[in-house]
Amino acid sequence: MPQLVLDKISVHYDGQAAPAVERVSIAVAEGDFVVLVGRSGCGKTSLLNVAAGLVEPARGSASIGGRPITAPGPDRAVVFQNDALFPWLTARENVAFALRLRGVPSGERARRADSLLKLVKLDGAGDKRIWELSGGMRQRVGLARALAAEPEFLLLDEPLGALDALTRERMQTTLLDLWAASRVGVLMVTHGIEEALVLATRIVVLAPGPGRAVRTFETGFSRRYAAGEAIRTIKADPAFAAARGELTDAIFEGEAA
Amino acid sequence: MSVTSYSERPTTRTDESSALSVPWSRPHPKRRGISARAVSAITILAVLAAWALSARLQLVSPVFLPSPIAVWTKFVVVARDGFVDATLAQHVVASLGRVFAALVAAVLVGVPVGLAIGISTIGRGIFDPLLEFLRPIPPLAYLPLVIIWFGIGEPSKILVITIAMLAPVALSTASGVRGVSQERINAARSLGATRAQLVRHVILPSALPSILTGLRIALGAGWSTLVAAELVAATRGLGFMIQSAAQFLVTDVVVMGILVIATIAFVLEFVIRRIERRLVPWAGRD
Repeated sequence: MPQLVLDKISVHYDGQAAPAVERVSIAVAEGDFVVLVGRSGCGKTSLLNVAAGLVEPARGSASIGGRPITAPGPDRAVVFQNDALFPWLTARENVAFALRLRGVPSGERARRADSLLKLVKLDGAGDKRIWELSGGMRQRVGLARALAAEPEFLLLDEPLGALDALTRERMQTTLLDLWAASRVGVLMVTHGIEEALVLATRIVVLAPGPGRAVRTFETGFSRRYAAGEAIRTIKADPAFAAARGELTDAIFEGEAA
Repeated sequence: MSVTSYSERPTTRTDESSALSVPWSRPHPKRRGISARAVSAITILAVLAAWALSARLQLVSPVFLPSPIAVWTKFVVVARDGFVDATLAQHVVASLGRVFAALVAAVLVGVPVGLAIGISTIGRGIFDPLLEFLRPIPPLAYLPLVIIWFGIGEPSKILVITIAMLAPVALSTASGVRGVSQERINAARSLGATRAQLVRHVILPSALPSILTGLRIALGAGWSTLVAAELVAATRGLGFMIQSAAQFLVTDVVVMGILVIATIAFVLEFVIRRIERRLVPWAGRD
């Protein structure tokens, strides 16, 4: 079972005095849903980009199953905040992009893309152009496109950040369904405290200046959802409210320190 | 129209504008505006009318300004019988052929050059100064050199037009390539795209709207260069036709040729816009 390991990662961007991230260690195993939270400038996205292989750490090592991460690869598909879809392709062709890169024949490509679209609840939207889709639909296409690469790990960079509250909630359950069905390891960045609690099996709280990990929470709400409990019941649980308070405190403590 | 629009301007000027005593009325919400297209049509008709009138009243000698009817008659005659050993259609085909041959050449060279400028520092270092050197030179200036090097044959004419088209194509391609969003590139890389796949499947399609804009500019530049290129021992072509007509003071053919060139340029522009809408319907929408 491969593990995505970020070991004592420091990130330093050219021309900036302070490092963006300092000595943060995170491990994501298969079936984990690790969420990074914290205010802007705490290095969440930098860490995710290190895992993606898009940013080279100044110090520390990033690896998957012992293999060092040196470049982006389809074993770690990324979903970005601004969907980053290809507007010259249809929704189906976007989803099939990774398959096309691998030379999968077109009939097979379309078949698999359609089943992925169905998985993200976009059946029938395959022929739609990207600009015809709403923000939420676009993110679903982005998610399906990432899943098409059959990744061992999904890296989500605030994929729901630009969505309205209702769409966001629906996307959260879609995400959980996909995660529970595939047991893929997820590393996600978010600003949303409730979102972190709903989705995560583990929450890492980061604080800015320089970005560092200040607290780690193990949470069980997403596993309860995966076990069949309704999302509304989970959110109504007093334990959920207590956890939200604790997490909020941790984020603001980190800020003050 | 112009009178009522004055009234919308709350003016504090005293001397002339108050002397005009423009009635001050609130803009009527349902007032019918006149479309820019209608104004354009009226303008064109007015110019034609002025032209016809001045020719009719013989304000200027027909050698300088033949009447619209004379030009039209000449158009029919040249279309049927030809001028200097070729029919109008043959002249048009010769010119269009040169412009399109040059366009193909400019795309084959310009797009890869623009790509190199956009994606590689070395490419930019090599081609940027060369293009910047070439771009501002008027075609008439390098025409003699092209003749000295390549003779007076067809390749020289196409080459001159190509040079004029090269910079717009390459620079538009480069700016399109540089404008590709980093997130889009990262997404493709994380889906497993190699460098070559990145260029083919992400960078080129992303830059396509910009490349097509470059082609439009290049076609404009190409047409402007056409007459210069056809000065060189051509036996056919619209530029050649105008030149020979001018030497014999056949002004109606000169005017007719100018109008034909303008019409073709207009049609080409229209066609390219249609192609743009077909090929890059997402432009401006993503």
